[in-house]
Amino acid sequence: MSTAPAAGDDRIVPRLARPRDCVATGVAAGLAGHLGWPVVLVRLGFALTSLVGGAGLLLYLWLWALTPWQPGESAPKRRAPVAWILLAAAAVPLGVAAVSGGPPTGGPAWFWPALAGVGLIVAAAAWAGFLDRPDADRGPRHEFAVRIVATIALAVIAFVIVFGPAAAEAPRPAFAVALAAVAGIALVYAPTLVTRWRELSEERTRRIREEQRSEMAAHLHDSVLQTLALIQNRAGATSEVARIARAQERELREWLFAGDAVPDRDLGAELREVAAVLEIEYPVSVDVVVVGEQRERASGELAAACREAMLNAARHAGGEVSVYVEGRPDAVEVFVRDRGTGFSLDEVPADRLGVRQSIVGRMRRAGGEAEVGPGAGGVGTQVRLRMPAAGPGEGGTRG
Amino acid sequence: MAEASVRVVVVDDHSIFRSGLKADLDASIDVVGEAHDVESALAVVAETAPDVVLLDVHLPGLAVPAGSTGGAEVIRRAAPELPATRFLALSVSDKAEDVVGVIRAGARGYITKGSSGGEVSRAVHAVATGDAVFSPKLAGFVLDAFGAAVGETAVAGDELDRLSAREQEVMRLIARGYAYKEVAAELFISVKTVETHVSAVLRKLQLSSRHELTAWATARRLL
Repeated sequence: MSTAPAAGDDRIVPRLARPRDCVATGVAAGLAGHLGWPVVLVRLGFALTSLVGGAGLLLYLWLWALTPWQPGESAPKRRAPVAWILLAAAAVPLGVAAVSGGPPTGGPAWFWPALAGVGLIVAAAAWAGFLDRPDADRGPRHEFAVRIVATIALAVIAFVIVFGPAAAEAPRPAFAVALAAVAGIALVYAPTLVTRWRELSEERTRRIREEQRSEMAAHLHDSVLQTLALIQNRAGATSEVARIARAQERELREWLFAGDAVPDRDLGAELREVAAVLEIEYPVSVDVVVVGEQRERASGELAAACREAMLNAARHAGGEVSVYVEGRPDAVEVFVRDRGTGFSLDEVPADRLGVRQSIVGRMRRAGGEAEVGPGAGGVGTQVRLRMPAAGPGEGGTRG
Repeated sequence: MAEASVRVVVVDDHSIFRSGLKADLDASIDVVGEAHDVESALAVVAETAPDVVLLDVHLPGLAVPAGSTGGAEVIRRAAPELPATRFLALSVSDKAEDVVGVIRAGARGYITKGSSGGEVSRAVHAVATGDAVFSPKLAGFVLDAFGAAVGETAVAGDELDRLSAREQEVMRLIARGYAYKEVAAELFISVKTVETHVSAVLRKLQLSSRHELTAWATARRLL
């Protein structure tokens, strides 16, 4: 602390970086922090050396271009309204140009000041468009205002040059300045154009990616999906290999054709997903058929009861399970059917809560009904769930 | 099986699938030809005049118009020449537009490639005897397309755009995974009657101008 060693190795020199909360660019503040000098001195140094052939200005620009921001997340905040300052500064050379009528010896005296004014105006608009834009305190409105002022100023310059006496006195310099002013107007809107262009090319990239994806989908459809179907075919519906192939097929198909998943799934999508999971975990193949409008959501009680019924079928029966969902205006009906040994609800001991509670009880509490019985021809088990459509009072059917 | 041998042509662009399917089919099914694209399929089918053509929905071919499928194209061109030949579509896809495309082109049935060899064999026999073959998915699609879920029911027997109450019942049971025999037992009708109903539904599916069917088809330019 008080005893600094002779060597500077103990003294922490801040890295050369521009503070995110700065006046204009943060170059002076960053350099001052790095060198340990007062900021005022650095600024004065820049100003004085700028007078010597613009060396200070060049150094400033060079440092501005190459010095990184201090690490952080926030967008840089610039305290000085640089865009407006530049606009105001443009008034100076323009004023000079206006008063210097100038004899046309080697060019009119107003030429360079007018050009400088145009340059400053364009710089102001560019500053507002590129640098002030991410700043939440300024934002698009500020950018818009600067642009309007810049456009008007440039238009006035072009107008005055073309229709004023200058055009007659010195046509060529006048034309050059007018051209610069018009080009300046285009440059004022360059940031927006650049942004649009970037968006456009992003959009194009996205479309190309989409095309590639559908091309790949077509190819996979023709090759991998066929092979997976063949594997299932040859291996028998309930074998391990067939189950894995079927689950893979489903997953691949989902990825290829479904597109983006909907966050709040409907009942049909949910049951298909459940089927896919069950096929991986149990020796079962589940066929889900969905008909009609799907108002029931995956989070609902009916979906929970369905999942339970499907799990039961997969766990106790295996083989082929058929799930049929029909959404009608008055109710949603679900049938889960397996071809196992079957069981009757009366034979299930009262302490076995699975079916009684999670299916029948759940449906009754939610205002629906459930039936568990033998499947067609006495083979297997069939669970029938029915949930009346919720009335306007939402859940008005509840006891 | 006691049934007579059925002569079948297998059309699929993947030789691995063709050979796999051939090995899986019953002995009662005699594969008399194979083809891998639309052109070769037309040639083989014309040459052998089989009872049933097992046809992949997505087939490559030079002459497939945009929006159509190779399978539908084969049916459309081969069927007029061979009235005795039936077509059974086979696909890895369950997509509604694939189904409606080939059925409307004239296929007598539609099964997915995940079906076992035994299922495919049964379907081939059913199609060979003139019956229609509906998978649960196809039955579900039919119920949807004909508005059965919202309570639309045909009143007249010859109505093409809606299903009769009985046809809806049959379709519902098939969609629930019932075999024809089980459907018959459930509804206390004969298997033959079930088959009649299914054929009637197939006819409606092929001939109906119902908005949903044509909308799907035109949206994908299948017709």
